Amino acid sequence: MASRSRESARDKLQQEFISEAEEILERMRDDLSALAEQRAAGREAPPETVNRLFRSAHSLKGLSGMFGHAALSELAHHLEDVLDRLRMGRTTLGQGGLALLDESVALAAAGLEKVGRGESADAVAEPIADLVGRIAAWDAAPAAPGESTPLPPHWLRALTEYEESRLRESQRRGRALHVIELELEIASFEETLSELTGAIQEVGELISTLPSPGASSESRIRFALLAASELEAKELAARLELAPDAVHAAHAGAAAGAAESAAPPGAPGAPETGAPETPAPEADAATLKSLSETVRVDIKKLDELMNLVGDLAHERSALRALALRLGGERATARAAAELEKIQRGLDRKLQELQAGVLDVRMVPLGQVFDKLSRVVRRLRLDLGKDARLEIQGADTELDKLIVEQLVDPLMHLVRNAFDHAIEPAAERAARGKPAQGLIRIEATQRGHDVAISVADDGRGIHPEQVRARAVQRGLIAADATLSRKEAFALLFLPGFSTRSEVSETSGRGVGLDVVRANVSALGGLVAVDSTPGVGTSVTLTLPITLAIIQVLLVGVAGQRFAIPLGGIRETLLVTPGELERSGPRELLHLRGDALPVRRLAEEFALAAVDRARKQYAVVLGIGDARLALLVDRLEGQQDAVIKPVQGPVRSVRGVAGATELGDQNAVLVLDVSALVEDGTKRREGA
Amino acid sequence: MTGAGAERWERLARAAAAAREGREEPLAQRELLRVEVAGSPYALPIERVREIVRLRAITAVPRVPALVLGVISLRGEIVQVLDLRQALGAEAEPPGRRARIVVLHGESGEVAGLLVDAVSEVLRVPESELRDAPGEPVPCVSAICTRGDRFVSLLDPDQVFELAAS
Repeated sequence: MASRSRESARDKLQQEFISEAEEILERMRDDLSALAEQRAAGREAPPETVNRLFRSAHSLKGLSGMFGHAALSELAHHLEDVLDRLRMGRTTLGQGGLALLDESVALAAAGLEKVGRGESADAVAEPIADLVGRIAAWDAAPAAPGESTPLPPHWLRALTEYEESRLRESQRRGRALHVIELELEIASFEETLSELTGAIQEVGELISTLPSPGASSESRIRFALLAASELEAKELAARLELAPDAVHAAHAGAAAGAAESAAPPGAPGAPETGAPETPAPEADAATLKSLSETVRVDIKKLDELMNLVGDLAHERSALRALALRLGGERATARAAAELEKIQRGLDRKLQELQAGVLDVRMVPLGQVFDKLSRVVRRLRLDLGKDARLEIQGADTELDKLIVEQLVDPLMHLVRNAFDHAIEPAAERAARGKPAQGLIRIEATQRGHDVAISVADDGRGIHPEQVRARAVQRGLIAADATLSRKEAFALLFLPGFSTRSEVSETSGRGVGLDVVRANVSALGGLVAVDSTPGVGTSVTLTLPITLAIIQVLLVGVAGQRFAIPLGGIRETLLVTPGELERSGPRELLHLRGDALPVRRLAEEFALAAVDRARKQYAVVLGIGDARLALLVDRLEGQQDAVIKPVQGPVRSVRGVAGATELGDQNAVLVLDVSALVEDGTKRREGA
Repeated sequence: MTGAGAERWERLARAAAAAREGREEPLAQRELLRVEVAGSPYALPIERVREIVRLRAITAVPRVPALVLGVISLRGEIVQVLDLRQALGAEAEPPGRRARIVVLHGESGEVAGLLVDAVSEVLRVPESELRDAPGEPVPCVSAICTRGDRFVSLLDPDQVFELAAS
């Protein structure tokens, strides 16, 4: 059973990989054809397209590496290098380069297809190695002058130096290059040409006029005019009163005939040096059909499904209640037993359905981690520091919605670690640390939670310094005594920052408080631990899903509330005598610990509190912080689908959302982390 | 595009098409839902009304302005309910037998229910008969029209929503 589920998990991962990689390749194909078009139109490669290509190659590399497809990863790695240099302007993309990129994408697609068939992508390792060699050779060749112009090399040779410089200037100004082909009477061609030249100059520039072969009769002569203009080919033709097909965009293959013969008589018939335009057509055709059987689904649709499952669960509850009622009467006892049996069967199926829908929402955290590697890569360049990112538990799964919300907080933590924590190489050497810093991200599943830690081996944080700064900022009293943990908790206060100077990388005044706000909005919590000189680790603990949770229903003053079970440590009945008053606060002694007490009736101003009454204490726990929340009644556990709430209700502190429990009544779901935080907070300045 | 946005878009498109064909623009005729609040007639633009539901148990929400009565569950959807009485400056009163919740969608797709004392009829009012309210601007009222011998105030749902959010 276990091995089967492991195997299906692997299958699922493999599917995930294929669909993701397919998407990347699709994007690359689009971008490459866009580049080819731009090139054909004589325009420079748009930087955003090149950047996107680079990012795609990078993602493909990371993804392939993660799934152990070494050959694919190797190919993507070289692509990434080339594209990186290209986007940095250290190399230019000629026709040859474009063809190589096309070929690479086709080859990667072929490799992917092998993976899809359950074969190893290493089957294409040989062609990949060959291609990688050619990419390296191409990349090493210095960019030929005029390499970026969209003209065949032999035509370029026919241009004078001045014409060539005009050509480059036109390109720089973003003008499109056009080839105008026409046939004129030898007797009058000079007149016609000068008329045309004048007309062209009104809308652009005539760069060169080249006679070409293939005239229809002895008395006629053909010309190819190279013109630069802001106008499109069709507009230009109309402007010059020529047939629309007489003008077309210049590209490497254009007017080859004209160019060939246009070469000065002395020049030898220039051999075709451009790479062939054959990007492995077979592989291309094969990838038209999607390899994976994955479907992309809008998460909203899954939410709707989940709601439906929740509604079904309510129906089942009603059925169960009916069975119990019927069971109480002799006449219907047998039917009730039947009904109960059916109900139980339904319940099992429902649970499977629920698990299935939940499963669909789950995505591996690797998706986010991949983005983080990219961040580190960029920081390495920007900050001139060196640190590597070590990732563990990339296959740990979380609800898609949560994963998306995690990108920013994690990005922030990694930047922080890189920017503030990791020391410059010299300082590291002095401390006997390896020159290269280490940032370690680790995700592990613990029951219904996932813990993600971002740890560095940097300079660490001194609790005393944190304390001093908090005093300086007036966040705590000068004589406040704080435990190590309490000191680190100060880091999360809004506006707190341990470094006074503003850094480009980590932003201005944006600190851990933002990370905490983001994470607690997801029902999670953040904790910091640090050893000065050794390193810091920040741990986020998050629920696996937000879609459906188990809640405890409690009653206070005629109103019901739902408390997520994940935040509850225990419940107990307390008599007034068990509560100790300490100033304005109350404490509950529980196995040697004194827990702060809050009464929900007071917290939400629901009713006057009768302190003589017995109460139920719901012990809430978030990390190490605990709070005893007093309520009038406990009304049992239930599955609940948390629904979004709109308007002012959404921002009520202490309320995470609302749910409906099958009786048509809305019930508010409490925000355990907010309640615990407020309840355990020291009084201002105390 | 949200459902509300799409509807509005369609309505505008129809109006534009009608205008092009020289027909009378249907926008010139407004359909309004007349509701009664604190003894006075008010009107809500009908294209904003999603449904009208009978009064049901409203779950109170702590820490919100009094005008926010709480939330209800509409077939599983959680919808906030605002007291139109309080929005219009009248005293809160326990709802009577004819009280209804008019569920509206706002400009940006948000949904809220307005508690009214009663829903009476659908009015068809030519755009030309809608006038600015005389005197001081009244909160949430965007225009008035006369029906018989009475003024009917046309409410702007977005202003009511904003009032609740402040």
